[in-house]
Amino acid sequence: MSEVRALIVDDSSVMRKIVERSLRQAGLESLVVFEAGSGIEGLEVLRSKKVDIILSDINMPSMDGLEFVRQLRLQQLAPDAPVVMITTESSEEHVKQAIRAGAKGYIRKPFTADQVKERVLSLLSAV
Amino acid sequence: MMLNGVRRSVHSYRNDHAAASGEAKMTLKDSMHLVSDPENLDKSVHEVFETMLGVQCRPEDRAMVVPEHPTAVSVTAVVGFGGILSGACVIRCDASAACAIAACMAGMEFETVDDVVKDAMGEICNMLAGTWKSKVPDLASNCGLSVPAVITGSDYNLHVQSPEFRISKTYAFNETRFEMIIVCDALH
Repeated sequence: MSEVRALIVDDSSVMRKIVERSLRQAGLESLVVFEAGSGIEGLEVLRSKKVDIILSDINMPSMDGLEFVRQLRLQQLAPDAPVVMITTESSEEHVKQAIRAGAKGYIRKPFTADQVKERVLSLLSAV
Repeated sequence: MMLNGVRRSVHSYRNDHAAASGEAKMTLKDSMHLVSDPENLDKSVHEVFETMLGVQCRPEDRAMVVPEHPTAVSVTAVVGFGGILSGACVIRCDASAACAIAACMAGMEFETVDDVVKDAMGEICNMLAGTWKSKVPDLASNCGLSVPAVITGSDYNLHVQSPEFRISKTYAFNETRFEMIIVCDALH
């Protein structure tokens, strides 16, 4: 797979590192990662960087992941990049909320590297 | 007071959710035995620690005193529950255990409780809270989580007035021990 540019949005720096590690374990060797600590920071990154996929937490202070996805769709930032929500909230209602907001995938914490690989690779191959 | 502060951030979840979904108010009273089942906490700890840290946690019979020395630094992470259950999920341990947990998560060593260690403790608490509530279907969709709060220091107590129920258990992996508490101060 050619170079993949990913944006990871999570208020936890540890979780951002774990997600990045999972992406690298997924075989995305030519991986460029941008990080953001909130939805607001994520939007800022997308104004200047082109990305192929976005992985975002939901439960974040200042701007949560759902609002982040709504805003990036509204502002037409990264219109072709699929968004995967990574969150502890896993009920059917939460998944529906994420899909309604514009997410294409959903990974529940705790997650394995294989789960990230499966979800990310299927979305990237569909783009 | 601390738990009240945490809870306020998710206080409106239930009303917002019910209004959005048009559902009647849920009650947890009928499934109290499920909510307060200590086995759900065992399963949650096992699942989170095995998946995210790659370690097998075992429950310990003897209760843990945190900190073991009054002047020692301890770390407490709290995630509040709001909605049909009000309360909190708490993980607490001494500084060395917090560093060990963070090391397993982040893949690097820590000697002191820095911001990364606090971050890791908050996240592990967040995942434990989410996993625990997912064990009871009514809770999974009708109970919100606050963002984590992490307290470090010595000589402090965690006090909740007249809880509905409280589950407190000690777990260990390798030489690392920590205490988990689920405290519920109201069921709706």
